[in-house]
Parts: sequence; structure tokens; C-alpha cells
Amino acid sequence: MALAPVVANGVQHRRRQIIGWVLFGLLVALIPFLIADTYSPTIFGNRYTVGLGNLSHAIALMVAILGLNIATGYSGQLSLGHSFFVGSGAYLTAVLVNDFHWSYFSTLVVVVPALFLFGVVFGLPALRIQGLYLGLLTFAVGAVFPSIVRLEEIADRTGASNGLLIDSDLVAPSWAPLDTLARWLHSVPGLSGRVPDGLTSRQSEAVYKYFLLIIVALGCFWLVRNILAGRVGRALMAVRDNPLGAAANGINLPAYKTLSFGLSAAVGGVAGTMYAMQSGFLGPDEFGFNLAILLIVGMIVGGSATLHGAVAGGLVIQFVPHWASQTQTVPGTDIALQGPYGGVILGALLVAIVFALPGGAATGFGRIKARLMPVVHQPPHR
Amino acid sequence: MFLEVSVGIIGTFNISLDKLSNGELWLAQFFRGLSDGATYASLALALVMIYKSTGFINFAQGSLALLGVYLAYVFSVEQGLPVALAVVCAMAASALVALGIERIFIRPFPPNRVLPLVIVTLGLLLIIDSSVGIVWQFRTRNLPSMFPDGAPIEWGIAQLTWRTIGNLGTVFLVVGLLYLLLSRTKIGLAFRAVSSNLESAQLVGIRVGPTLGFGWALAAAIGTLGGSLVVPDLLLEPSVMLRVLIFSLAAAALGGLDSMVGAVLGGLVVGLARNLLVTFLDLSELALATAVAVILVVLLVRPTGLLGSTHLERV
Repeated sequence: MALAPVVANGVQHRRRQIIGWVLFGLLVALIPFLIADTYSPTIFGNRYTVGLGNLSHAIALMVAILGLNIATGYSGQLSLGHSFFVGSGAYLTAVLVNDFHWSYFSTLVVVVPALFLFGVVFGLPALRIQGLYLGLLTFAVGAVFPSIVRLEEIADRTGASNGLLIDSDLVAPSWAPLDTLARWLHSVPGLSGRVPDGLTSRQSEAVYKYFLLIIVALGCFWLVRNILAGRVGRALMAVRDNPLGAAANGINLPAYKTLSFGLSAAVGGVAGTMYAMQSGFLGPDEFGFNLAILLIVGMIVGGSATLHGAVAGGLVIQFVPHWASQTQTVPGTDIALQGPYGGVILGALLVAIVFALPGGAATGFGRIKARLMPVVHQPPHR
Repeated sequence: MFLEVSVGIIGTFNISLDKLSNGELWLAQFFRGLSDGATYASLALALVMIYKSTGFINFAQGSLALLGVYLAYVFSVEQGLPVALAVVCAMAASALVALGIERIFIRPFPPNRVLPLVIVTLGLLLIIDSSVGIVWQFRTRNLPSMFPDGAPIEWGIAQLTWRTIGNLGTVFLVVGLLYLLLSRTKIGLAFRAVSSNLESAQLVGIRVGPTLGFGWALAAAIGTLGGSLVVPDLLLEPSVMLRVLIFSLAAAALGGLDSMVGAVLGGLVVGLARNLLVTFLDLSELALATAVAVILVVLLVRPTGLLGSTHLERV
């Protein structure tokens, strides 16, 4: 079953990595066409849907978790209010698109620096407040976001409790060969059953949005990876693991703590923009305390301080509640299920992960991968 | 746009002189503040109990109280017990639940590692809140108060209601009983020993696990009592305790997370601040933000709170 062991960073290892990435890329590119017709299997009498919209939403959540990971996973600053940044980014984008007629992408020019500043201000207390106290403060700040959106003075821009409809659609431009691609995939034997022969305008819009979000997400992951793999990342991890030791080694604690919040918030803001692009409608309570907790769940379940953990976490916090709400009866019986037991499952998952797999899903995958595709590390040549 | 938003926020503070010179309004809001403050204080007391003994903030404290309040609702409205008796039964039941939770979810972790424990309490928060939503749905209900309606002292619109008096009296009674329990009984002594120094307590033969379990049970009972005081003023629905929890966190931070007297003091101050600020500065949407402001200012100016003990870190 398992492949033959290869030497780390050797030719074979490289080849295997490249094959892996190519397969992953193909999968990412194929999925939107496969579920362009909302895929809805029936399992034990319950109908589940996997829509492209859900998947795009999950991608936005992945980026949000990535942002949270910078402050909490990598730098150890417990932030229970990350929803604040996601919400701010989303509303900022929405207002710029609605009232100032900017395009979605150009709003990033404002969202990223503005949210970086937000994060720095948010992080200032973190200089004096540590651990739990910081968690307590951020918890409260995150819970306040919906009331800020509802403030009368800005209600005509934010829509207050009614929510805010963004009146600009992301329509696939005519040069994007989505329809041609779909027709071509339809002609591939084996795929014709799933891929529709040509996309309706609605479907092509969803597919286009998906690819836009994928590109933004890839950009975010790539940038964050590069930041964290270098000097800054090592400094942040040192701050997390031993603040005193880090300070003694010449790391400027205040600067790096503030920086971690700034970066975290900026990435969170981008996630907000993606959220706005995806859904086109914002409600104040979507960015309340619930989202903050969900993001923590996603981060821990996926694996804190890992990048691919954010991907797993985003999928979990999007699809677990979604599918739970679609399970109308206990599988295999006709006992009716009602209520928010997606929350119960997520909570149980969180507790279970802390108990059984403290490194999260990323560590679990890593172990399985090491078992199936072993890599031998060679001692350096003398 | 930023300018507009900031002008907007400043514009919120349109203080009217009519209101400020209205003595009755001051008194009315003062009484309401005391009443709210008493309820925040009781949940803050529960938070302090846990923090004192284990050194972390139990974010599921509000959820345990929520469960307790729903049980009180079942005992009083559905089973027809007198409200006070129903609340006592609910306190006992939630104490049992907390005992179980402590035994199953908390005790397996080494007590000095705080972060996993906090994450577990967040998980418990999700589990309990959602379970309450599943069992009792999202319909709003009314929980009757333990205290009679009406006000013995009235002065224009300012009323000192029985409910306010009862809430305040209950909180002071709880603090008094807690003081007696901790200073005069054997289990109280053990609890104080564990919260003062876990390892030394273990070395002199105190069974740390059951003592901490006792702390959890006590905290849950106090939280349930606090919830039963506050919910009659609001409507009972699954998210009702969340806002209360945030005010109570503010109260606990203000008083010092490890001081019981501080929790009561903090609760009263937060209750008063909330009602007076909201009334006189017209901040109805920002009531929750006053709690955040309190937490922020306290943590920045005096991180250990008003009565909390300072904690020295040795290298």
C-alpha cells in the first residue's frame, strides 16, 4: 500500500511533490464544473447539497482562519474577536462598491491598509495584556461589531439590521472561456454525466466567482507563507513560545505583537472582501460572536499554526453546520431532527480534537501521509 | 467616509441638559443600574470562583447559567413549583452538570496549561448553547421572578422595586455565605489552599480534583442563581445569557479576576455605568460597547482590576 521511501529533497521527492501539486491544481480547477449543477446526493433519506456557493464561502472562511492563525496560532495572542476584522472588511468593501462605485478588487487597496491599522490599534492593548485577559477583551470587542453596524449614524450606509445588498454583480467577462471549458469537459468521457453541456449565466457567474476567490486565496496563502517562513515568522513564533527568551534575543516584543495583529487583521479584511464578493449580501449578525467562535473552531480543528490546517478548518466550519441543518431525520430512521445541532457537532469536534489530536487535522493528515509516502531525512554531509 | 463615520460617532453624544437636570431620571437609572449590577455581579462571582481555583476564564459559565435558567423554567412554569424552590432545584441540577463536566472534560488536562482548557470551555459553550436551542427551540418565554412585583419606595418615575431589593439582597447573601463557606469549613479551606498553591496543596494531602470539582459545582449554582435573577427582566431565549456574560466579564475584570468582593463591586459599577451612560449619552445601541470600554480601560490602567492581587513573574 505504502510507496517506497524517498530521500527528503531528492529528485524523487521533488517529483512526487510536483505530481501532488499538479493533481491538487487539477482538482481545484475541475471542482467548480463538477458541482456547477448543485450536487445533491441523498444519504439515508436526507438530501444534502454541495453548491458552488458554499464552497466559495468556505474559501473566504479559509482566508479568515489564515488571518486568525497569524495572531493566535503563530504568535500566541489569543484573539476571540477575529470576526470584527472580517466584518469590517466586508462592510468596507460593500460601502465602497455601493456608494463609491469601486470595483471589488480595487477596494482591497483600501481594505488592506485600513484593516492593518485596525489590527494595530486592536493589538495595542495586547502589549500590556496577556493571554486570557486579551482573550476576554477581544471576545467583547468581537461581540460588539453588530451593534456598531446598527448605529443610527451610519445606518444609511450599512443598512443596519435589514442587511446590506451589494448592487454590483460579478459577471464573468466575455474573454473568460468558462462556457467553452464546460463544453469541452462535457465531451470528456466519464465526466459528461456531471459537467453540464455549457453553463447558464447563473452557473458561469458562480464558477467565475469561485476562480476569483481561489486566486485571491492563493495570493493570501502565498504571501502569508512567505512572511511566516522568514525572519518575521520565526520572531513571531519565538514571541509565542517564550516571550522573555525572545526579548532577550533582541526581538522587539511590542513591535512584533502589534505587527501580528496588523497582519492578522489585514488578512481578515481580505477574507471580508471575499465574503462580500461571494454572497453579495451582508447582515450584521453574520459577523458577531458566533463567527468569532467558529473561526477559533476552524483554526483548532484544522490545526493551529499550520497553513493547510486553515483549508481543512474552513471546509469544516462551512460544511458541518450546513449539512447538519440539512439532516432532517436521524440517518436510517425517521426520528425528526430539528435545531442547531451543527453547533453541538462543532463543539464536540473542538473538544475531541483538543483531547485526541492537539495538532488538529493537519497533523493527522501529516501522519497518514508519512505512513503512506515515507520520506527519509538524510543527515547532512560532513 | 471615515470622516463621516467618526463625525457620526461623535454626534452620538448629544447630551441634553433637560435629562441631566432631571433628578428623578438619575434616581430611576441608579436603581435600575443597581438591579442590573447585582445580576452581573452574581455571574461575575461564578467566573471569579473558577478563575481563583484554576487560573482560567470559563467562557462556558454563561451557558451553564443558561441551562440552569431553562431548568428553573421547567421546574417553575411547567412543573408548577414555587419559583424560589424551582431556582434552588435548578441550582442543584446545574451544579451536578458542572460536576460532571469538570470530571469528564476538565480534569484530564494538566491544570497549569491554560490554553487547551479555554478552548475546551469554548467548545462546551457551543455544545450547551446549541443543545438548549435544540431542546427548547428559539421561542421566547417568560420566567417569573422570585420576588413580588411592585415597588415599596416610589419617587416619581424612580421606583425601588422589590425585584431590585431582592436581587441586591440575594447577591450580598451569596457573598456572605461564600465567605463563611470558604473561611469556616474544611472544604472551603481546601479550596483556598488549592487556589493559593496547587502543588503545595497536593503535597499536604488535599485531593485537588474533587476540590476543583466542588468549585465548578458552586460556580455553576451561583451562575444559575444570577441567571434566574436577570432573566425575568428580559425574555428567556437561547442567546439571552451571552450579553449578560459580556457584562459580567467586564465586571470581573474591573473588580479583579480573583477577588470576590471585587466581582460584586465591579458588577455594581458596570450595571450603573451601563444604565447611566446609555440614558444620558443616548447610547442605546452601544450598551454592549460600554462593557468593552470598561474592560479596555481597566486592563490598560490597572490590569489586575480594582481589588485583584498583583502577580509577579520570576524568571
